[in-house]
Amino acid sequence: MTPASRPFLRSIRSPRPYLLLLGFAIVLAAWHLVTAVLDVPMFRKITPPAVVLKEWFNPEPFFGVSVFTSLYYSHIAYSVYRAYTAFALAVLFGVPLGILIGWNRTFRELTFPLVETLRPIPPLSWVPLAILMLPGTEPPVIFVTFIAAFFATVLNTVLGVRSIDPSYFRAAECLGFARRDILVHVVIPGAMPHVFIGLQIAMGLSWVALVAGEMIAGKRGLGYMIYDAYSMVQIPTIFMGMLTLGLLGFFSSALVRYLGRRLMAWRSF
Amino acid sequence: MALSAALWRGIAGIALFFALWEAASLVKLPFLRFVPPPHVVLENVVQTIQTPAYWSAVYISAKRVAIGYVIGVALGVPIGLAFGVSRVFRDTFFPVFETLRPIPPLAWVPLSILFWPSIELTVVSIIFLGSFFTVVINVLGGVETLDARYLRAAVSMGATPWQVFRKVIVPATSPSIFTGAAIAMGLTWEIVVAAEMVSSIGSGQTGLGAMMWQAYVGGVIPLIITAMISIGLAGLVFSALIWQIGAYATRWRRVV
Repeated sequence: MTPASRPFLRSIRSPRPYLLLLGFAIVLAAWHLVTAVLDVPMFRKITPPAVVLKEWFNPEPFFGVSVFTSLYYSHIAYSVYRAYTAFALAVLFGVPLGILIGWNRTFRELTFPLVETLRPIPPLSWVPLAILMLPGTEPPVIFVTFIAAFFATVLNTVLGVRSIDPSYFRAAECLGFARRDILVHVVIPGAMPHVFIGLQIAMGLSWVALVAGEMIAGKRGLGYMIYDAYSMVQIPTIFMGMLTLGLLGFFSSALVRYLGRRLMAWRSF
Repeated sequence: MALSAALWRGIAGIALFFALWEAASLVKLPFLRFVPPPHVVLENVVQTIQTPAYWSAVYISAKRVAIGYVIGVALGVPIGLAFGVSRVFRDTFFPVFETLRPIPPLAWVPLSILFWPSIELTVVSIIFLGSFFTVVINVLGGVETLDARYLRAAVSMGATPWQVFRKVIVPATSPSIFTGAAIAMGLTWEIVVAAEMVSSIGSGQTGLGAMMWQAYVGGVIPLIITAMISIGLAGLVFSALIWQIGAYATRWRRVV
């Protein structure tokens, strides 16, 4: 057997895994160096990586949050629940609206300018108004997250429908397709690649907005955990929250990509 | 004629939205209890833009956006290109970059406040982070989609690595550079608001985000909406500027 036919051996012999480890090692070493070894004034308040790790995996955490406490998972559960609820609502409303705008000219001319007028207002600037308009603590945070995901979804769905080759519509009509069949067999599959690009962007944006929403208006959730840790000067907990958010964001995007691949098996990525 | 029909429909759609908003305030829909009708907001817009405090807030936010954004692009473009051209650099640092990228910019705020000596630097650094990651990813994407035949052609005609970089890779990537720069600009105005709301409450200079938060705390609701509109418009103007610069810099792409 040649080395090329054994993926494991091949991957071990290529420099990639070692360079990957080297990259992380360099960054961690630099972090350790400026915080623990050298006494750089700017980094005096920042904790070394070892302290963060120790706190993160400490059965009896100094500041009350680690992988062994239920509080940590409750923050995660709140954030995930909010991000995914908002994302699901954005898909539920955004995709049909985008298809309507993209497919029906009259509807597009009526509504698209309005969408384009409201879109530049950053989702995060909805926070104060959302708190005033909606009751309780959950709806404002979910609303702000929803706004962030909604516009990205609508815009990319419209793009997707508009990018379908017009000859497909003509072909379908020649073959006697009803409008319903055109929707199911031409518009939806044709727009799908763009829709999923939009959903990936939307997922990223919803995490961005969620954190801001939780910091300003939330009770519980990772954004709140970071902000709370900040006000109590619990720096390892801040790092823990940031890295957890990074992981959750990464897996959420990977999930959307995976679903896209499954639903569009006819395309080779 | 088709265009003007579209224009009228667009105006009708927007007018309908404002009419519904006005009507909803008139009949006092419960969730709009605190939201003033459009004519009150308009009055507030007219009043607010005549005050020097408003323009100073616009200036402060714009300055923060500009500084953070320029540093973000200035560092993001070379690093994106380096990821694209050097395999070793990419294999070493791209995984670290991809680990940090999904962390939302706002999650950096508390750490930045502790790290930087002033609020000003905190807000600027958050804007920097937001634009930096976006620019790098787009520049790298641009290098990756480069047609390998151009590289081979240049090399076979005796181009040096520097010539390949300067004459092939950079021009071919420039559309992606400007796309990334424009997307990043859209993001920065979003970030400045939240960063100002979270970090400069009570301290530091008052940007548009802080102005909005003070309006919220003080219960001056029309001012909240005025601030929202201002932030939206400012973002629009800044993005249009970047698109214009991009269109000019890559004017050879214009289809004749």
